[in-house]
Amino acid sequence: MKIRVERDNLADAVAWVAKSLPTRPSVPVLGGVLLDAGGDDGDGALTVSGFDYEVSATVSVSATIAEGGKVLVSGRLLADITKALPDQPVDITVDGARVGITCGNARFSLPTMPVEDYPQLPAQPQFVGELDGHAFGEAVAQVAVASGKDDTLPMLTGIRLEISGETLTMVATDRFRLALKEFTWKPADGVTGAAVLVPAKNLADAARSLGAAGSTVRLGLSSGEGMLGLSGPDRHTTTRLLDAEFPPYRKLLPSQYTSRAVLDVPAVTEAIRRVSLVAERGTQVRLEFTEGSLRLAAGGDDEGSAEEELPVTYEGEPVVIAFNPNYLLDGLTALPTDQAELTFTTPNRPALIKPLDDEGKVAAGYLYLLMPVRLPG
Amino acid sequence: MSVWRQLVGQEPAVAVLSAAAAGEGMTHSWLFTGPPGSGRTVAARAFAAALQCESRTGCGECAHCRTVMAGTHADVRFVEPEGLSISVAEMRSLVQTAARRPSTGRWQIVIVADADRLTEGASNALLKAVEEPPARTVFLLCAPSDHPEDVMVTIRSRCRVVTLRTPPADAIARVLIERDGIDEERARWAASVCGGHVGRARRLATDEAARSRRAEVLRIPVSLRRPDDVFAFADLLITAAEADAVAESARRDEAEEAELRIAMGGDGTGRGTAGAKRAAEAAVNQLRKRQKSRATRTQRDSIDLALVDLANFYRDVLVYPTGATLTHPDHEDQIRSAAERWSPESTLRRLEAVLECREALQLNVKPRIAVEAMVTALARG
Repeated sequence: MKIRVERDNLADAVAWVAKSLPTRPSVPVLGGVLLDAGGDDGDGALTVSGFDYEVSATVSVSATIAEGGKVLVSGRLLADITKALPDQPVDITVDGARVGITCGNARFSLPTMPVEDYPQLPAQPQFVGELDGHAFGEAVAQVAVASGKDDTLPMLTGIRLEISGETLTMVATDRFRLALKEFTWKPADGVTGAAVLVPAKNLADAARSLGAAGSTVRLGLSSGEGMLGLSGPDRHTTTRLLDAEFPPYRKLLPSQYTSRAVLDVPAVTEAIRRVSLVAERGTQVRLEFTEGSLRLAAGGDDEGSAEEELPVTYEGEPVVIAFNPNYLLDGLTALPTDQAELTFTTPNRPALIKPLDDEGKVAAGYLYLLMPVRLPG
Repeated sequence: MSVWRQLVGQEPAVAVLSAAAAGEGMTHSWLFTGPPGSGRTVAARAFAAALQCESRTGCGECAHCRTVMAGTHADVRFVEPEGLSISVAEMRSLVQTAARRPSTGRWQIVIVADADRLTEGASNALLKAVEEPPARTVFLLCAPSDHPEDVMVTIRSRCRVVTLRTPPADAIARVLIERDGIDEERARWAASVCGGHVGRARRLATDEAARSRRAEVLRIPVSLRRPDDVFAFADLLITAAEADAVAESARRDEAEEAELRIAMGGDGTGRGTAGAKRAAEAAVNQLRKRQKSRATRTQRDSIDLALVDLANFYRDVLVYPTGATLTHPDHEDQIRSAAERWSPESTLRRLEAVLECREALQLNVKPRIAVEAMVTALARG
């Protein structure tokens, strides 16, 4: 192999691929990135790929190829090196069991690993539709907050993607809260419906890095639906789907409410952060609603306690409802707007948080459902 | 080269497995049984390769075959106990990955190298998966036998059993000559004394130290005369086994470490490699921890191997008058003289003592104490 590539393109590509590499590879070759020049597509490009059995990432970089070939080198080391290279064209040559990298006056020599031992990369799944990368990145981030971190309940560590014609729905829940985002997208011809469960972390990582590029993201699903593919320009990633049933969440969403408060998100989140300083981790913050005011309280008699009162618009009977402060903050900070609506019935039934637009109307598309914490006594 | 070439003298099993890989008599769980060294895990691996192979034959040339044999295929998980058993936590997470659809291959395959080392909880976790396997998942379990002590009957009853035989000495010798390039005389000798253990035959043929350690262990039965020899010989046996284990571990550990270091970029040269070096060191340290717990196991295994050698010697003494094939043909003189000197009853008692010692080790008795007790019994006869 003998090729020349632009330094920035190479560094970006390697950095992106190396990010998804495992820090403790179960087999050593998985710590490597595969550089494939003039590979199967034969379009005179270098592809840089990484794979950890769960997630695969491939970037193509334009390159001048004097001699094609494949080589497997440590991803971590290559990322460190390319990051530090001077801004000049980079020459990569393979010489026996080592690969040489020359850039300006800098020269590197890296040991290679056997390419034959590298697992085959999964094929990019069939195209099912596309959507704006920025919106996608934001949506995934808003939903991912509610996903579970506990690996023993795999169905809760995922984000459910539901395709129904032109509507794409994303939902995640960890049993204590649920986040749902609905928006329109452009499905491919003939795509009508599908529902899959994607590991939340993988989807969030992929959406963030593809969304940052600001272009269109293309979604693919493999025929057996075992694989989700996301691609932006020159970048492709696949992630294995979770094979678990997602809870039937639609019937959990309350359809009515008896109390409704309009919250000023920045003010309320600040206040919750302050008050919850005395709430030991995982304990509750109490929200006491009366007409025109909200009193936040946390802590108790035997520990420190804190209170804060803010003006709010409130309709309903005076009520005390308690939440896990972290979960409440997660929901409020995930909102795209500064005004939010909190609706609920009784202190032991789920509450709903929805964003409000400038005119005080509910902005459709996002909701955050939160289970209250039982009040003491 | 076909993946089946790795299996020595197992033609009947290969016929069954390659037929299954081609689609005839395929099932979701398989149990590979056979004496130590007969190639249970090799068979399971080769079968996995054949199942994923592009031509379904185990050609050994396609990317699927190569990555399965190298242990890097995305849809083949290989589990072996690092310590002395496979824990329920490990098995649960494995069952979860096993439930997935294959990503690049035809099947999602899980190979459990020592199914006899599953704890009871782990067996039960596995049982659930074996009972209702996902459509594209195949379990390949390896165990010395299908005895209930090794594999739970409930698991056993859900598996198709492939029994490997003790490979014939001729087949082992042929492989040593052809594959490892060992000269014929030594290969024939190693094949005749290895007790059907292919890996051990190769070690004996290539490693001078291993040969001399075996000779020392086999010296015990005839040179054990006075009571105060007991401790010296017990010590000899344990030291020999430990030395064997250390040599074996060192050989594997170094190679693994070097490989990991390259993968993590630990020995690149040039500017800006310090970060990678640190990460590599962290990964290597973790690997060392795993290797350490594996070393305990290797040590047990090598004591066991020495005990089997010893047991076989007494077995040879016992059967010598009948003219049966000896497991230690190179010690025929000693065997003959022992057969003349000892009564069959006392030989049998000695054989029992060795087998009891093996059992005691299984039950976690401290090796030195178990071996001393055994050598005392051997001295008494």
